[in-house]
Amino acid sequence: MSLLLLYALLLKASVTSFSGVGALPQIRQDLVVTYRVMTDEDLSRAVLFGRSSPGPVGLYIVSVGHAVRGVPGALVGWLALASPAFLAIPMLALLRRWLHLSRVRSALDAVIVASATLLVPSGLLLARDAIAQLASFL
Amino acid sequence: MREAAPLTSARPPLGTLAWLVTRDANKTIGSGMASIELLRRTLERRGWLDDREHGVFNAVARFTPGTNVLAYLAALGWSYHGATGAAVGVVAGSVPGSVIVTILTAAAATVDRWRAVRVALTVATLVAAGLVLANAWSLVRPHVRGPRVGWTLASVALAAALSLAGATPVRVLLALAIWGALTPPRRTP
Repeated sequence: MSLLLLYALLLKASVTSFSGVGALPQIRQDLVVTYRVMTDEDLSRAVLFGRSSPGPVGLYIVSVGHAVRGVPGALVGWLALASPAFLAIPMLALLRRWLHLSRVRSALDAVIVASATLLVPSGLLLARDAIAQLASFL
Repeated sequence: MREAAPLTSARPPLGTLAWLVTRDANKTIGSGMASIELLRRTLERRGWLDDREHGVFNAVARFTPGTNVLAYLAALGWSYHGATGAAVGVVAGSVPGSVIVTILTAAAATVDRWRAVRVALTVATLVAAGLVLANAWSLVRPHVRGPRVGWTLASVALAAALSLAGATPVRVLLALAIWGALTPPRRTP
């Protein structure tokens, strides 16, 4: 598989998801099922490495790239991971332009409150898994 | 694209920003938002960020496709130093972890081979869970202290109900954006 195609596939998966592991189904479909350049075991290991490393959980995409094309693949994986982040810039610029409007301000406040609400189950699930894991060590 | 006026006049020098993001965004395991909580505390302590700005960056990051943390860092960096700051934020927030992931993959090491490593990773995950919850509180805090406490509680209830009903996070956020736009604060005479 060419590096360009690998980048295109990983970017597609990354840009169509809104969370760290949200891209996983698309990556599996493209790289495991369609192109068969990695196995489910490789993919599981990539997710494990992503969760075991500091930084965003989405870093498993770097490991996926490495599993397919070695170090250049890892670089391509990082590029696919990092590229969509820059879409935040025009969004921030637009938001600031309209922020003086009370309805926009109120919509933003509601989104912030919703973000916080959505974080709670994630935090509780992480804690529950960790506590269950710790209990299994005892 | 021109850089928009930052929300605060104080900003960290570029090198300091790079160092702080590298240090804080790569300190936790299991959740990127926990890293953001550490970074928020550092920047707020130095007067370079407040809860309001943090909320704006967080909202933008939530609506940006891909990894939320990197979108947050791009928005944060751009706000301080334009395109260079955005690039520095994203690179500093992702390269150290990427190097570690690459080394792990190259060595084909199974990190759960050793019990001590598994225990350490689990404890780190528990700490990350606490930081995620702290981040949630820091986002809500400015809204429960103002005059719109009832509205904030209604927003929380609506978001929770939609989430429990199976709506995806993006749909929950879109629904809440519409709710917010339809219920702006009343103007005081």
